[in-house]
Amino acid sequence: MPDSIDHSAPRLIEEKGSYHPINQVKDSIMDLLQSFGFEIISGPEIETEEYNFDMLNIKKSHPARQMHDTFYISNKTNVLRTHTSPVQIRGMLKRKPPLAFISGGKVYRKDDDATHLPMFHQVEGIYVDENVSFSNLKHLIFDIIQALFGSETKIRFRPSYFPFTEPSAEVDIMSKEGKWLEILGCGIVNPTVLENCNIDSNNFSGLAFGLGIERIAMLKYGVNDIRDFYKSNLDFLNQFK
Amino acid sequence: MKIPHKHFVENIQSKPSINELSERFFQLGHEHEISDEIFNFELTPNRGDCISLDGLLRDLRLFYEIDINKDIYEPEIRTYSLSFNNNAKKVCSNISFLKLEIEDIPSNYKGDLKSYFIDLNLKKINFFTDISNFISYETGQPTHCYDFLKIKDPITLDFLSKKVEFETLLGSKICIDENELVFLDNNMEVINFAGIVGGKNTSCNKKTKHVLLECAYFEPEAILGRPIKYNITSDAAYKFERNTDKNNHDYVLRRFLNIVENHTKIINVELFSESKTHNSKKIFFDIEKIKSILGVNLDDIKCKEYLRKLGFIFKDNSVLVPSYRNDISNINDLSEEIARAIGYDNINTKNFKISIDTKGHNHNNENKLKKLLIDKGFYEVINNPFSSKKNKNSFVIDNPLDKNKNFLRTDLLDSLIDDLIYNENRQKDIIKLFEIADIYVKNSDLQKRVIGIIASGRIGKNYKEFNKKIDLEYLSNFLNYENLGKDVEIVEISREKINSKSKNKIFYLEIELDSSLKTKYADDYPVCFDINSKKYIQISDFPCSTRDLSFSIKKFSNCKILEKAILSFENDLLKEVFIFDYYKNDIAKEIKVGIRFIFQSKFNTIKDEDVNEVMDEIIKKALSIDSVTIPGLEI
Repeated sequence: MPDSIDHSAPRLIEEKGSYHPINQVKDSIMDLLQSFGFEIISGPEIETEEYNFDMLNIKKSHPARQMHDTFYISNKTNVLRTHTSPVQIRGMLKRKPPLAFISGGKVYRKDDDATHLPMFHQVEGIYVDENVSFSNLKHLIFDIIQALFGSETKIRFRPSYFPFTEPSAEVDIMSKEGKWLEILGCGIVNPTVLENCNIDSNNFSGLAFGLGIERIAMLKYGVNDIRDFYKSNLDFLNQFK
Repeated sequence: MKIPHKHFVENIQSKPSINELSERFFQLGHEHEISDEIFNFELTPNRGDCISLDGLLRDLRLFYEIDINKDIYEPEIRTYSLSFNNNAKKVCSNISFLKLEIEDIPSNYKGDLKSYFIDLNLKKINFFTDISNFISYETGQPTHCYDFLKIKDPITLDFLSKKVEFETLLGSKICIDENELVFLDNNMEVINFAGIVGGKNTSCNKKTKHVLLECAYFEPEAILGRPIKYNITSDAAYKFERNTDKNNHDYVLRRFLNIVENHTKIINVELFSESKTHNSKKIFFDIEKIKSILGVNLDDIKCKEYLRKLGFIFKDNSVLVPSYRNDISNINDLSEEIARAIGYDNINTKNFKISIDTKGHNHNNENKLKKLLIDKGFYEVINNPFSSKKNKNSFVIDNPLDKNKNFLRTDLLDSLIDDLIYNENRQKDIIKLFEIADIYVKNSDLQKRVIGIIASGRIGKNYKEFNKKIDLEYLSNFLNYENLGKDVEIVEISREKINSKSKNKIFYLEIELDSSLKTKYADDYPVCFDINSKKYIQISDFPCSTRDLSFSIKKFSNCKILEKAILSFENDLLKEVFIFDYYKNDIAKEIKVGIRFIFQSKFNTIKDEDVNEVMDEIIKKALSIDSVTIPGLEI
């Protein structure tokens, strides 16, 4: 051993910082989906109403388009995207099927309380090909949930409503306490949406799904208040090294 | 919407238990909670037809024998020659008015009306309004009761040409905007905010025996958003917003009359009706397409049976959609109906493989820069983009949550300064943060992806760095070494307008993360984070208390023993311990070690005596080690 080393000197602490816990969860999910064959695409957070709503079959009369639910920008010329689905619309307009995209990032809704924030994160995916079915969708969702929460996780599919998918489903998992917890939304892409993107819905069908990252992060880490993620408190962030 | 279990089973022969019904409703997609044997439903916005007892019973016909139609008033009703001007036929195609006079007002309610008030613990208002509310609960169709003696025709339905002040039947005054849909009386005074709330001047009371009952269909767009805009809670508006049945008015009015007739003598009843015939929607029944959408083999006959049970009619090769199902318009909708009948959980999964050549998402240099910062002790933060700072390129939010933050940020500085102050106020003396975000600048075609880096305070806690403060040299050394492919301009931020007691210098830099970004940093971004084993422990918001001790060690080999003893010391109040000073004097044959102890309680502001108690234990443990002393300490 070289003489210059002082063996009585205290060990130096490894003073690393940390990635944000939300990004850790988001990137883990994106990695998982990439391993299934999905391609990552991205898009702007300021969107047109056309891409954010119209192309996704969200009619003018839909409550989500009201001023109390959506942030409008510059005299209603644009919106802050309310989901990452418009990124997929942009992707479908650029490419012909078969296609498999995922997009992840910030989305905005006019909410602010202990369980909702005006800004949160989503990861959404879409797969369009010949003969994509609801049973394929179920297979994919089982794979995603079991990879995230373990192979023994009990899963429930419930009918739901999203204008851009039909049939639509919400998926719950059983908590350790025996309670069903809503974990993601999914469905078969509404043929109107495919047609809007110049995809022949007689020849192609698609599946789509979306996960709320904060919800999953809260479950994985045991964080009870969603606002804790965005206080930038070093004591909080330090726990996610 | 609340419906007692009892009200369902009264209509179902097999009398299913509350748990069985609950499972059925989840299978159908009708989310709910149960309390005191009452279902509280949170229905999806496309199922306006289910916001009633009858609506949910219609869906339950998939599983049970149920006769939805109740007793109604059968006799022919004379025509009422009301003078009514409908200037809004585009949004109100069907409307009826029933003129009704009764002999007496009943003192007690009977049958279904009585159960409705008792089982849901509701407060009675007046006879006609109570029946109207019950009918809405049972059929899903809102009706409105005017006191006939307070109203004079011609009645007009029209869009307001100017703002009008209106007193609702609940006594609140609102100012209805131009272009809103209203009913007007012979003096062109507003008597009803159409589909939302009636007026005080024409409302019924406990003595009303002569009523004008309005039953209408309003297009959802004519009602949507008004309850929130005018701060009105309206069951009618909630239902019209989610769409109602255009073709049920005759049944609804006759059901209303039946309830009245069960309670008192009807002296006179007349009906005015203006309705357009709405043809049923027709969908080609393509079972092969449904099989392909669901990915399962289906029995054609069974599928038809499911749809018939839900009220669909088969004609030739097509399906006629019942008038209450405004949500059904294509083959995918029919597939969903069949999937609901089968049960989503009963549909098998089918494996598939995505075999598409995909392009990788290249954030390699950005990820390397992130990793470099993390390794240097920086923490990643995420802030929302709402800002109070306006510049000429800021996007303006038309409807901000906070009126003082109605701009989108054009840089990350202010958000990061807020984060810095937040942590300084929590006694942090090493603050190293970064954020990566898209920012938006007006008149620019593209958003910019940038990284903002802010740093202030000590470089680190280790004894080699504890006394060194973050400065320009520290930051530029490691960033410039990386040769990021662009100029790195680090600026010192003035503390002049910053509300914090700290006097440490603040340094900030912002770099655009475009294709010109490079970094030599060898470490890759972690391929997969460990998100499974980390469990968050609730942090405390109470202030910390800090104590420093300086130890003298004469026997060098005991320095490690002291280090181990102190750093492994555990106590609930002791949040953190670290060595901030180390000096070895070979001539004097002495090692001096400075150790910092940070205390914090999870439950309250920590007291000196609690800290002292723990410190005494630590000191005792340290002094039991041979040759260890604490200079200046009096025991």
